[in-house]
This record gives sequence, structure tokens and C-alpha cells, in this order.
Amino acid sequence: MKLQAIALENFRNIALQEVRPKGCGVFFLGPNGQGKTNLLEALAYASILRSFRGGGPDALIRHGEKEAALRLELDHEVLGRTEVGIRIRPGGRSATCDGEPVRRLGEMLGRFPTVVLASGDILLVRGGPALRRRFLDLVLSSADHGYLAALQRYHRCLQERNAWLKGDRPRPGDAVAAAFEAQLIPAALAVTRKRKAGLVRLEASLGPLHLRFSPGVGPVGLRFLPDVAAETEEAYRELLEKSFERDRILRATRRGPHRDDFAFEIDGRPADEIASEGQQRGLVVALRFAELACLREATGIIPLILADDVLGELDPRRRALFWENLPGEAQVLATGTALPEGGLPAGHRLFEVREGRFEPANG
Amino acid sequence: MTPAFEALVQQLKRLPGLGYRSAERLALHLLVERPGRLPELIDALQVAASTIIRCPECGNLSEGGPCSLCADEARDASRLCFVEHVPDLLAIERSGAYRGFYHVLHGKLSPINQVGPEHLNLAGLDARLERMQPAEIILALPNDIEGEATCHYLKETHFDALISVTRIGFGLPSGGGVLYADAVTLKSALEGRRAYH
Repeated sequence: MKLQAIALENFRNIALQEVRPKGCGVFFLGPNGQGKTNLLEALAYASILRSFRGGGPDALIRHGEKEAALRLELDHEVLGRTEVGIRIRPGGRSATCDGEPVRRLGEMLGRFPTVVLASGDILLVRGGPALRRRFLDLVLSSADHGYLAALQRYHRCLQERNAWLKGDRPRPGDAVAAAFEAQLIPAALAVTRKRKAGLVRLEASLGPLHLRFSPGVGPVGLRFLPDVAAETEEAYRELLEKSFERDRILRATRRGPHRDDFAFEIDGRPADEIASEGQQRGLVVALRFAELACLREATGIIPLILADDVLGELDPRRRALFWENLPGEAQVLATGTALPEGGLPAGHRLFEVREGRFEPANG
Repeated sequence: MTPAFEALVQQLKRLPGLGYRSAERLALHLLVERPGRLPELIDALQVAASTIIRCPECGNLSEGGPCSLCADEARDASRLCFVEHVPDLLAIERSGAYRGFYHVLHGKLSPINQVGPEHLNLAGLDARLERMQPAEIILALPNDIEGEATCHYLKETHFDALISVTRIGFGLPSGGGVLYADAVTLKSALEGRRAYH
């Protein structure tokens, strides 16, 4: 997939701008706080309909305006030349694809894939499990709509079960709880099974990529840490029965895929403990490239690479490796406060960014 | 505006599907544009409120005693169709595809919305099933989590294991192709496929 143009209206600090990348890559150069990340955020928003920086739609609308709008022109492997429109209003958003409204926003996931490299990525290695679940959920939902459906079913059932636990005197074996558990259990098993298989695929791509970023360090592994080991409906039901008394006291379902995690390992040991700062940063860049490979394999679409000032955090050797290992056909849109040491790779356009305005600087 | 006008708008706004602007438009229509209609509307509301009850058999609308559908002896007593709300019953009736009896639950199980079995129209269900002895029960509840949970609950707590219980099909709309159907609908349609003769 190649971005031909993006137009932004009232998105964060950008009043009205159109950017036409024309080529295999773009570098947005400018001091901090000028709007470079906002443009990458807009592109990622069109892909996953949420901000990679977190927060709701309200924060994305320019101060004092009623709504923000995005329009993307893409050359797409499956859909050909396509126009995507997004409108963001306080408390909601809507999307169109070639003028047709997108009825289920979940359908957008995976259709216009992007891979975001951001400075917070290092927290995937050393931060809490919620970040890793969010990463895995986004990759797998984009690669497999069956995963998204199972995940949504699981969370809805979980909310209903938790509401039941908070109600009047929940009893073990209650028919209402059983009615929701009958759907919760297969959804939970499907989510766990797909996470396990997804991590195997990611790990297979990650291994060789990681070796390039940290030669001689390895092998790297992604160890799935499911909260529930049960593989059959009967075993899962037994676990819920066993946990009932504690769930009743806590008034919430304690066990389940909502507490899954996975760990990065190097030589079978936890990467957050044994890997250096540079190795960890190399590892998350390699993980993003592995994400790209998985999305490409699952959807047949080459994602856009959105690199948000990550190069400034890599050491010079890994910075050079980043540019060398970029998948050839992928279009990369990168930001930075300074140009790469070796200059821009051939074919890349340079835009200078000041106060929400993007000016082409190399023709 | 006046306090009485504002009170009326607030009452109208509480009705399903009406926002503040629609409620204000209705109030102005009734009070200013067509004040002559107001006594008729008040009269109709009072008559409806004093005469319309839930059918003691199925939960449909009725004016005392069984509703017109339950009283219709020409209907097929071997089939009983469960629906969530009265408008669902009306929609199936309009289709002309079904001639059996109905049971309106007036809701679906949802602990989040504080709807438990005691809030559904289940009080006389066991006795009704005993009287009717239907050969088939059709579950025409929505195929969301709460609809499915309600089907599961009914089957486990109220239906005799010998009764044939069926679920209505979910899939493509008639006259529609697969091209514009969303992934969830297509999945339902494929799962619900049947032999082609």
C-alpha cells in the first residue's frame, strides 16, 4: 500500500494541510511540538480508528473546532486507487471508503494496515502486560477478523458475568451465569488459541530480524503466558467453578484471557533483565518489522511504516541497520528533529514542519 | 419558553427515539400549529392506557383477555415462537411466513442492564407449555450475546428435552449479494447454510 496524499482538517494543531509523499519514503523534519507526530497519528488513525498515543476522539479535534476530518488517497494492492475519509466528532467517529460509509468500524482493521514505531515501544519489553496484550490484540485483529470477533464476544460476556457477580447474591451453578459462560468459554478458548498461534508466527519472523539488529545475541523467543491453561470447555468450566468463591468476593472474574501476557526471551532468559538498553531498542524495532511481515502475509497488503522519532533513540549502528533492513516495497514515513547521518535514502522526500504546516524541502 | 412547555418537552424527550429537538418540535406542533389535535391525542392516550394490557397468554398487546392472535383458533398450535419485544412479533406477522403462536419476553437477560429472569415474561410460561404441548419451539431472539444467553437460559430452565427447539437463521438479506455484506453477517450466513435441492 502506498500513500499518495493525505489531507487533514482541524486535526490536533493542523488547521488544513495536504501532504503528497510521491515516492517510497518521506522524512518530516522539524523541532518538537510542530505537528510531525500528529501527521503520523492521523495516518495510523485511518488504519486502526484509534490513536496510538491513547486518549479519545476529543483530544484529536483542534481546539475550538467541532470536528476533525482526514482524507487519504492510497494505491492499494487489493482495492486499487482508494479514497478513505474519516470524520472525528466529540464522542464518536465515522469512516467512508470510496464514498461508501463503513458500517462496522471493525471492518477497517487490517484493510489499510500501518506499522507504528514510536519511542514508547520499549515498554513492550519492560512495561506492564496490558501494553503487550494491546499490541497483540491489534496485530491479530488486523490479521484475522475471526480473532476480533472472538475477542469482542469474550469481553462482552466478561462484562455480563462481572455485572452478575456484582448483583444480588450470585450463587454457584446459577442458570443466568451459565447462559453467559456457555458463550464466554468458547470465545476465551478461541482467543487463547489464536494468541498462541499468532505469537508462534511473530516469533518465526522476529528471530532472523533480531539477529540483524543484535548480531551474536540470541536466539530470541516470545513466550506465551496464558492466564488459563485449560484447552477444553470442560476444563475451563471447572476452573470457573473453582474460582467462583473468590470471584464472588472480588465481584469480578479473576481468571481469563484478559490477564494473558507474553515475555520476550533471549537465550531462554527474560529480555527485560538481561538485554542492554540498545539491545532492547533493537528488539522492538525488529518486532515491528516482524509485525509488518505477519500483516503482509495475512492480508496480502504491505503496511505503511510510520517511524515516529525512534531513530533518535537508536545508536548509529542500529540506525543504519533500520534503513538497510526496511522492506524494499514498503513506504516509510519517518519523523525526526535532525536528518539521518548518511542523508536521506534515495527516493525519499523531505518535508519541513513548522507550526502545523508541511513544506516540501527537496522538490 | 414557559415552565409548562419545558415540562412537556422533558416528558416527550423521555420517549424512545426522541431527542430534545424532536421533542420540542412535537410540543410546538401540538400546542401551536395543530392545537385542535390535542384533545383527540389525550383521549386516545387515556383510552389506550385504561384498556390495553399484556395478553395473559403470550404477552402481546390485548384489550382484556387473550390477544387477537391467541384467540385465533385457525393458527398452528404445534409451533411457539419466542420474541424479545412486541414489534418483533409484528414484523414476523407482516412477513406472513408464520402461522403459529408467540411468546413475547419483553426483554432479554442482561446483568449489565439489570435485567434478570424475574424481569422477563416467564411467570406463566411452564403452565402454558404444559397446556400447549408444542411440537416445535422457535427462538427468534437477536443473535447478540444477550439474545443467545436468553435462548440458553430458556432451554436449560423451561423446555422439556423432548421438544424440538430451533433458532431462526441469520445471514444475508433477501435480494442482497455477498459483495456488500460485512464479515460477521457473512460468517453467520456460511454457518447457517443448508443443502441445495
